[in-house]
Amino acid sequence: MADRKAELERKKARLEQMRRERKEKELSKTRNVGDDSKTSVKSSGSDASGAEPDDILREFGISPAPEGSPATPKKAAAQSQAVKEVEVPTSVSHTTPRKVRLSVAKVNETSIPPRENVSYSKETQTIIADPVDKDGGRHGKSHVNDDNDLDFIENLEGSSSHAHQFRGHGHSHGHGHTHKMPHVEMVAPATTSEEQNKEHKKPVPELSEEEKKQILMSEGFQKFFDHSSRIVERALAEEVDIFADYSGKDSGGKDDEAMAGERLKVNRDFYDDKWSKHRIITSLDWSAQHPELLLSSYGSNEDATNVPDGVALIWNIKYKKDTPEYVFHCQSPVMSSCFAKFHPNLVLGGTYSGQIVLWDNRVNKRTPVQRTPLSASAHTHPVYCITVVGTQNAHNLISVSNDGKLCSWSLDMLSQPQDSMELQHKQSKSVAATCSSFLSGDANNFIVGSEECLVYSASRHGSKAGINEAYDAHQGPITAIDTHRVPGQIDFSPYFLSSSFDWTVKLWSIKEQKYLCSFEDNSDYVSDVQWSPTNPALFSSVDIMGRLDLWHLNHETEVPTASVVVDTNVALNKLRWHQTGHHIGVGDDMGRIYIYDVAENIANPKADEWSKFVRTLQEMKQQATEREEDSTLLGSAAPIR
Amino acid sequence: MDDFQSGEETAFVVDEVTNIIKEAVEGSIGGNAYQHNKVNQWTSSVVEQCLNQLTKLSKPFKYIVTCVIMQKNGAGLHTASSCYWDNQTDGSCTVRWENKTMYCIVSVFGLAI
Repeated sequence: MADRKAELERKKARLEQMRRERKEKELSKTRNVGDDSKTSVKSSGSDASGAEPDDILREFGISPAPEGSPATPKKAAAQSQAVKEVEVPTSVSHTTPRKVRLSVAKVNETSIPPRENVSYSKETQTIIADPVDKDGGRHGKSHVNDDNDLDFIENLEGSSSHAHQFRGHGHSHGHGHTHKMPHVEMVAPATTSEEQNKEHKKPVPELSEEEKKQILMSEGFQKFFDHSSRIVERALAEEVDIFADYSGKDSGGKDDEAMAGERLKVNRDFYDDKWSKHRIITSLDWSAQHPELLLSSYGSNEDATNVPDGVALIWNIKYKKDTPEYVFHCQSPVMSSCFAKFHPNLVLGGTYSGQIVLWDNRVNKRTPVQRTPLSASAHTHPVYCITVVGTQNAHNLISVSNDGKLCSWSLDMLSQPQDSMELQHKQSKSVAATCSSFLSGDANNFIVGSEECLVYSASRHGSKAGINEAYDAHQGPITAIDTHRVPGQIDFSPYFLSSSFDWTVKLWSIKEQKYLCSFEDNSDYVSDVQWSPTNPALFSSVDIMGRLDLWHLNHETEVPTASVVVDTNVALNKLRWHQTGHHIGVGDDMGRIYIYDVAENIANPKADEWSKFVRTLQEMKQQATEREEDSTLLGSAAPIR
Repeated sequence: MDDFQSGEETAFVVDEVTNIIKEAVEGSIGGNAYQHNKVNQWTSSVVEQCLNQLTKLSKPFKYIVTCVIMQKNGAGLHTASSCYWDNQTDGSCTVRWENKTMYCIVSVFGLAI
């Protein structure tokens, strides 16, 4: 209160001073011509202050006026105006000499980020009607576009040579193709095609060479021939075999008996003189929709020059005929192949050139109907691993090439990958992938084996996309890896096998850095390994000494339960279990495929197989930890036996 | 008292100015959606309103008011400004306002006389 009074007093004194000075100014107004603004200020100020000394007092009672309220700034303004009026003459003189310290202010920034546009588009590619290739464009109708006429004719001969019954009936004609036409017509056993052949009977004598050729080349004829020759061959083969069946099987004809009884027995072999001779089998796959169909892909035939480099054949184990159901070929050796899991008619192949080719068995063409481009957006290195992952409605083709590039494709659209990524492990070192396997039921996580003796686990999407972990224990390039996929009450999907040039097969869990168990019974490169699809503790391996091993881990982990040598002169390259777990298809490097039957007592899992396997794995883990301790004691980095 | 008042007068009060700007913007384009034919009026009205309110403060300041209205189309925008002045007395203030269809950025620079 006292302070207030003092301030009031001060205010009053000032007001009087102001009045005095105002009067002085009014006098000097007439003298001061220049400053109109000042006078206006003065006059307005004088008006304002004339009216307001009381106001000022009043407002001072209200004194500390909060900023922002509309009423008080006005009064404060008036107040300041009044004061200003006093100060104006003085402030004018103040402003000019007042020190002005200029400096750069902080930069004021405003930013509005752009909106991210997420769009989705899907394209489909149509089949090119008429591929022009090195032979020059063939006129559209012919389906053997990339073959020479000669090939086709040889094929005719080839297929009919197997149907030796024809010859047996006494038609000893030469091999000129002109004789083929009447040959087919007159054959009695071919009842299914006889009706159709009668049509051909009439024009035959009238046609010239040219016209005959034309008919041969025509689409209709070739379709018919392809289809009916297949049926005829089966029918013929079947007839012969009905008698041979019982005697053939039981008499142990082949001399590849297993050491202990008949655990592994050769059922049959597949070999085609024309198409699989001297070609190494690079991959095998059984069809999911038709379990009797086996797809095999072949590398190039170095001996022959005029033949296509890459071949894929589909064999049938249901019938006794020993010619392939379908023959496909392409320009580059096929390194890996698989049936398109959800499309019963499509066959995919990954080639040495990095191109992925698609064959269709509905079309009467032996060459691929679609191919991926040979560009940097796709693969430029050999494609060693292709798999179809996903479900019926949402699936992709995943391909990994030797330079570590992983591409994912849609089967409708092979002209560009949907997605691609580089598999790199630390310090941008690309993974030289030789084999890959997806985890059971998982379209995202997979494992890759490489030439650098390392196995990697990786993911396609997600926060950990790319290579996650490396498993280092092999001393040679990895030839094959396989993840466990037997369904059952206990899930063994983290366990996988790897085989390598270092003569061993190792069992791992993806959760552990160190392998669980190493199988070292082989004395040469182990070329392939695969879990049985039905028995959780069973797997099989092949090596290049011609040996096929069956390991049943619940019985024995040191040596294989059954072992068979196919042929000491032959190196086995690939093996594939049949879905039933009763057959194994084995391919060698000379173009021959052997189908082995696995004895039921081994192939079929018993009820307690799963729990026994859990115990086996626990024992292996114990041994693994002991081994680790030993190795750390010895001071060595990796256990070597 | 003199000092108190002079403190009030000769410094740029950011909060006060921010409020003025906000009121001006709300008042002019408050609940409206972006309309190309009206934007002209809006920018003018925002600037005028701001300036009027600022002059009503009767402070010894020179004011510069800018207003940008941008339609929300997914484009990005970035602006920056810097000044060379007396940091004690001069100041600036930028208000960024938005609704569903547009952004409005108003900057006021006050330089003491």
